[in-house]
Amino acid sequence: MAVKRKIIKERVPTPERPAEERIKSFVEVNLGYTFELAVKEAERCLQCPYNYAPCIKGCPVHIDIPGFISKLVEYRDDPDKAVKEALSVIWTCNSLPATTGRVCPQEDQCEMNCVMGKVGDKINIGKLERFVADYAREKGIDEELLFEMIPRIEKKGQKVAIIGAGPAGLTAAGELAKLGYDVTIYEALHEAGGVLMYGIPEFRLPKSIVESEIDKLKKLGVKILTDHIVGRTVTIEELLEEYDAVFIGSGAGTPRLINAPGINLNGIYTANEFLTRVNLMKAYLFPEYDTPVKVGKRVVVIGAGNTAMDAARSARRFGSEVIIAYRRGPEDVSARVEEVEHAKEEGIKFEFFVNPVEFIGDGKGNLKAVKFEKMKALDERDSRGKRKIVGTGEYVTIEAETAIIAIGKHPNRLIVNTPGLKVERGRIVVDENLMTSIPGVFAGGDAIRGEATVILAMGDGRMAAKAIHEYLTKKRENGNA
Amino acid sequence: MYKILEKKEIAMRNTWYKVHAPHVAKKVKPGQFVIVRAFKNGERIPLTPVMWDRDEGWIVLIVFTRGKTTARMANELKPGDEILNIAGPLGNPAEMEKFGKILAIGAYTGIVEVYPIAKAWQELGNDVTTLHVTFEPMVVLKDELERAVGRHVVETVPIDPNLDFPTNMKNVTKRLVEKVREMLEKESYDLVFMVGPTGDQKAVFEVVKEFGVPMKADLHPIMVDGTGMCGACRVTVGGEVKFACIDGPEFDAYEIHWDELIARSGYYTDMEQRAMQEYMKLIEQALQGGEQ
Ligand SMILES: Cc1cc2nc3c(=O)[nH]c(=O)nc-3n(C[C@H](O)[C@H](O)[C@H](O)COP(=O)(O)OP(=O)(O)OC[C@H]3O[C@@H](n4cnc5c(N)ncnc54)[C@H](O)[C@@H]3O)c2cc1C
Ligand SMILES: Cc1cc2nc3c(=O)[nH]c(=O)nc-3n(C[C@H](O)[C@H](O)[C@H](O)COP(=O)(O)OP(=O)(O)OC[C@H]3O[C@@H](n4cnc5c(N)ncnc54)[C@H](O)[C@@H]3O)c2cc1C
Ligand code: SF4
Ligand code: SF4
Ligand code: FES
Repeated sequence: MAVKRKIIKERVPTPERPAEERIKSFVEVNLGYTFELAVKEAERCLQCPYNYAPCIKGCPVHIDIPGFISKLVEYRDDPDKAVKEALSVIWTCNSLPATTGRVCPQEDQCEMNCVMGKVGDKINIGKLERFVADYAREKGIDEELLFEMIPRIEKKGQKVAIIGAGPAGLTAAGELAKLGYDVTIYEALHEAGGVLMYGIPEFRLPKSIVESEIDKLKKLGVKILTDHIVGRTVTIEELLEEYDAVFIGSGAGTPRLINAPGINLNGIYTANEFLTRVNLMKAYLFPEYDTPVKVGKRVVVIGAGNTAMDAARSARRFGSEVIIAYRRGPEDVSARVEEVEHAKEEGIKFEFFVNPVEFIGDGKGNLKAVKFEKMKALDERDSRGKRKIVGTGEYVTIEAETAIIAIGKHPNRLIVNTPGLKVERGRIVVDENLMTSIPGVFAGGDAIRGEATVILAMGDGRMAAKAIHEYLTKKRENGNA
Repeated sequence: MYKILEKKEIAMRNTWYKVHAPHVAKKVKPGQFVIVRAFKNGERIPLTPVMWDRDEGWIVLIVFTRGKTTARMANELKPGDEILNIAGPLGNPAEMEKFGKILAIGAYTGIVEVYPIAKAWQELGNDVTTLHVTFEPMVVLKDELERAVGRHVVETVPIDPNLDFPTNMKNVTKRLVEKVREMLEKESYDLVFMVGPTGDQKAVFEVVKEFGVPMKADLHPIMVDGTGMCGACRVTVGGEVKFACIDGPEFDAYEIHWDELIARSGYYTDMEQRAMQEYMKLIEQALQGGEQ
């Protein structure tokens, strides 16, 4: 493919719904590429050699990015073939590209060091990945690939239990099923998907996409038991009696609260509760859907990660005025750049260097205002490289009927309390093979990392599947399968 | 999907469902609950397994028709239908200890939640008295409780058709408080336990406190997931924020911040009423459609 190509500096844009239209609905904001646009963007890629390509190094699961992009150009006259070839490249490292293409922080990963950045815009890798996955799904190409794979699977006769159906658990399940294991997922909620289903809103990741990913797993023979809470319905000990290995992908679902007076006033939601009501239970369709949610005229969202952006943008769609209040400065905002831009376009305001100290009630148990202390940043940096902040002794009060707390989460307590399971600072401790302190029990994703990302959770799921395969192969060879 | 094996109205606005749910039946202990999602666009609501058979894999739920979800369950579900989701068992089992002489109180359908706990306490060698205070046509599990515990007391209040339901309920609260006072005056108990509307729990607690008797209450805050993930169910207990679904649902009545809990439980009342009204409209339309 040593074709001499012209450098095209500018990114081919992806169409988006205008802000004033999208704040009235939960329909997806970014419309993605068409095949023609995708090819145009793909043509910009310089096709850096595999061992050198900085994009591959930046992707936590090391997708052969120039490899999949080149297929789109190579087979431009046969879109179906182009997509099928591109998808097979992606699938060797990533089984949920429709999701990661939408939610990965590409600017810090694959796109961060793209060489095109030196002369113009970086390649829009995320949107290309998303295009391949979406086109494949719409045309049934992904199923075609899957069905080609299924007859090649050699049954191993061993059983693996997976705890949690988030990206970590789903990935581990898929990989293990492809290796021929009999896989069962235990999921606490009524739907599989983890944060992809209950946390990330429809306008960023349509639920039909997650459902189709889960459908594919079922076609691979993965069994999903919803309504099963490990630690209550069944314990890890009991799972070990029935299964040859266990993978914990239970995420970091326990919300952190702010230790300030008035935290239990009505109108104060954790981001998890708010987003679960809105996304999983579809409260934005109340009363057609039964679950209620209350979004006041003014909403303050506390925090500035992806969760905070999702909560703020969801609240905005109820017609409210929304303020994001963050105790640090703009340089420490951890959300994806695209989400912050979308939030601003949608009219969400940002208040920096404010730390909540009190939730003020109306005397009837409802929130009326939030009192913040103004903060200032020092030059000194903390262990994570962020500038340290201190209080100034000055206060500011923001009136609001609703406050949404999005300051982070801890791993699920029911799992962490398993006897014999080593845990440090709430996170499950694993060795280099992702095995926990209990032999045969592996873990990955937010359960071991605290709040991280979808792609890191998937990377763990994939790595754990490999480790479990090795562990079970040994077990088979020793004859105690 | 969980098949309804039996469904019957056992008293006014009280429906009995025997449901196939082996994963719950196998593990449930007195004091635990489940989260039920009955319909595709439905809410997740907490309910309590009242009886179960571990081998046959069924549980019994007894549900008071309260708002839209429970009304839909009563109207729309038939034997043989499937309930979409039953998650559980959830929450901590009730403490199974020898407390001595126990007064276990259930107001309205709260008595069905008292039943498995009181029965187990009695079997453990406690001397259990159960008290059920409710409206006359809403008495449930009378025979079962008479068999299960040392003494079962039923106190009923007539429904005055000239008064609305909330006003009628005030009469139940009054009767409840009087009866508890009378019982505590007559005999001394080592423990009082209660399930029922939060306001009534608080009213009973005020009386129990005067006698200095230890009291536990099973709390009913609004829940969404029931697994500790959302914090909807948070209550202040002993000055600390607890999640009723994983730290409870049973707490020391002396430590509970009652007023906060009452305020939190009523947060969605206006929306719940709207949902119910729209549902009633649908039913009326359906009825009118049927006549034509
Ligand atoms: C609102 C929000 C927005 C986000 N946005 C982004 C983004 O844009 N990009 C990005 O990369 N990352 C984002 N993240 C982070 C990302 O979603 C997580 O890092 C990722 O989902 C972790 O995957 P996981 O599989 O480890 O856990 P989860 O996705 O949390 O899944 C865990 C699953 O386990 C289940 N479970 C828990 N306990 C039990 C139990 N005891 N028994 C059975 N099942 C159990 C849970 O119900 C859940 O389904 C966001 C997170 C949130 C909350
Ligand atoms: C641990 C626990 C066990 C319970 N066990 C039983 C039982 O065995 N039998 C029984 O009849 N009832 C039980 N309940 C109460 C039952 O959950 C509510 O009656 C039901 O949710 C009402 O729903 P609705 O849509 O019919 O009424 P709505 O009109 O929606 O609500 C009426 C009132 O019910 C309460 N409520 C509503 N939604 C919820 C929710 N998601 N979680 C908790 N409370 C809610 C609120 O106080 C509300 O004001 C239990 C509640 C809890 C917390
Ligand atoms: S998985 Fe994420 S980081 Fe890797 S190429 Fe895709 S979008 Fe980029
Ligand atoms: S670094 Fe950029 S230009 Fe080079 S292969 Fe990757 S995407 Fe293409
Ligand atoms: S119901 Fe969500 S944390 Fe208890």
